[in-house]
Amino acid sequence: MLSPERRLSLVLALVLVAASVAALPAQKALLPNRSGSLKFLALGDNGTGDRPQYELAQQMTKARDSFPFDLVIMLGDNMYGSQTPADYVRKFEQPYAPLLAAGVRFHASIGNHDRPEQVSYKHFNMNGQRYYSYVRNNVRFLALDSTLMDQKQVAWIETTLRGAGEEWKICYFHHPLYSNAARHGSSVDLRVLLEPLFLKYRVNVVFSGHDHVYERLVPQKGIHYFVSGSGGQLRRGNMRRSEQTAFAFDQDLSFMLVEVDGAEMFFQVISRTGQTVDSGTIRRQEQAQ
Amino acid sequence: MSDDSRRIPVWRASVPRLSAFAVEHLLLLPLGAAIALVWVNLAPESYYHFTYAIAFAVNDVAMMFFFALVTKEVVEATAPGGVLHPWRRALMPVMASIGATLIPALIYSRAVDALDEPVLSIAWPVSFATDIAVSYFIARIIFQLHPMVPFLLLLAIASDVLGFLMLALFNPAADLHLVQGALIMAGAIGIAFSLRRARVKSFWTYLLAAGGLSWWAFYRSGLHPALALVPIVPFLPHAARDPGFFVDASPADKDALSQFEMWWRYPAQAALLFFGLVNAGVPFRALEAGAWGLPIAVIVGRPLGILMAVGVAVAAGLHLPQRVSWRDLVVVGFTAAIGFSIGLFFCSALLPPGQLRSETSMGVLLTLVGAPLALVAARLLHVGRFARH
Repeated sequence: MLSPERRLSLVLALVLVAASVAALPAQKALLPNRSGSLKFLALGDNGTGDRPQYELAQQMTKARDSFPFDLVIMLGDNMYGSQTPADYVRKFEQPYAPLLAAGVRFHASIGNHDRPEQVSYKHFNMNGQRYYSYVRNNVRFLALDSTLMDQKQVAWIETTLRGAGEEWKICYFHHPLYSNAARHGSSVDLRVLLEPLFLKYRVNVVFSGHDHVYERLVPQKGIHYFVSGSGGQLRRGNMRRSEQTAFAFDQDLSFMLVEVDGAEMFFQVISRTGQTVDSGTIRRQEQAQ
Repeated sequence: MSDDSRRIPVWRASVPRLSAFAVEHLLLLPLGAAIALVWVNLAPESYYHFTYAIAFAVNDVAMMFFFALVTKEVVEATAPGGVLHPWRRALMPVMASIGATLIPALIYSRAVDALDEPVLSIAWPVSFATDIAVSYFIARIIFQLHPMVPFLLLLAIASDVLGFLMLALFNPAADLHLVQGALIMAGAIGIAFSLRRARVKSFWTYLLAAGGLSWWAFYRSGLHPALALVPIVPFLPHAARDPGFFVDASPADKDALSQFEMWWRYPAQAALLFFGLVNAGVPFRALEAGAWGLPIAVIVGRPLGILMAVGVAVAAGLHLPQRVSWRDLVVVGFTAAIGFSIGLFFCSALLPPGQLRSETSMGVLLTLVGAPLALVAARLLHVGRFARH
């Protein structure tokens, strides 16, 4: 149960966010927004509690007006710095209060700045697990713990992917298997472990964070990779585009809107100022196997 | 100036013995680590493909012989003339090792939190590790034949034993089947005991029969099988007197333990080369501030912990060894901060591949700064070879 003070601060945050959201310019929706499709948002490296995170959260709320997603996948580093109960309010519950109030469900993965206790935080819906799986519509999601990729987890990934009969398989975790940002770049140690499994069991799309930029990669061995690690932190000018880079944005915070309908996945990337910085369509049958 | 001219001959006098020791014990692991660092930062994909393929053979099998040889040194040290004979001599260093491990572990947990990488806190047992060979080498340079050298050796052994214990008890990745392992181990020890009773002199019989079963016991129990020969080596017949720490056996020594050492000395060094290659490959871009947690913890915590623990021991009525001062203990603290081989081993046993292992391994490599710090501290505190006469 929330304390009266906490409830009051949440209500105030809700009112403030609602007021400021109303003042934001409308976003141009590039997604088909079909009824019955799966609509979700991808967000990484967000929990600073600073003003830019709140401003991006306002854009997320605004986006939901025209694109009613009910799922947010969190790509790790959900919280930076101290992680006291008050921080959970300031760095998560307040900025995303309108989404939480609207019943949007967040499903988190763990990053290197996250405390292990986050797996038990109710709004992250991890049910005490470092890695877990769930199904929405025709999509199987696997939320992985790339900070501790032990043999047990690797075996679990294989078992889960082998048993997944859904049309789409989407994995998300903190450390990117492919990234062309200067600060961290690709986690090749994890790539050598995980990519063979992703190929074997035909994973379609992989979302990661860690590098504080947005990058869409040219499909690697048929798999689509996105780095979306600027949900609260930004490393401006950190991209070092290579032939692997299909598109990159490192000038502002951003999040991704995603829609899966049948054999198509649509995506739109929106910045803190409400600009659409990238968009496109992925067709499942494109995957080379 | 006159001080320097007096010191140089002493320094030179110690070089031949120590340089032989360095060639025998210290070169191949750093060489493997250096190759790994260059390789992983130039061609990471091929590095990981290669090292993942051989990691089990190196870490879980070949390293068994390195730990067997370390155990051999400890077993011999319990014989008359050894640093562990009589056992009471070990009391003060063992007491010191409790402070030398607990304080760094506490500092480590706080440091990684302060450095905003709290997930690294699971690696706290790595802060227990002390590289016996490197710290012995540095201690010999500083202290020459001073009683601080055996003190340091005992401290290092006790710290590592505590570390292995923590590794077994608090390894989040371990899937423990201790009862099953204990039953198989009872069989292995029974075989080793019977061989000793039957006065079997060939180390191969101990190695293949008891050692093989012991490896299986460790493996099944979920404990690290590289330690498989640790409980078997004490059963090998050995010399009545300790030849000295890190004194190599000669062909004239016919006891099973000396023969074992002569046969496995160089293969174990090769194992260390590959161990460095497999476990020290740290991509520099994977590093964040958390990599500093370990060096900070051991550089600050090791001397502090030793001073605190020895202070408690002295207050409880124990005595410092003769010619040992509190300033010596500070220098030994920096020397014992070097984790290197044991630290890398703890990393590989505790952490799966990924950023946490990379950062902790880099932290282990950074603990080598304990060597120059010990030399600087010795000079500033006028300790060992830098003492004022």
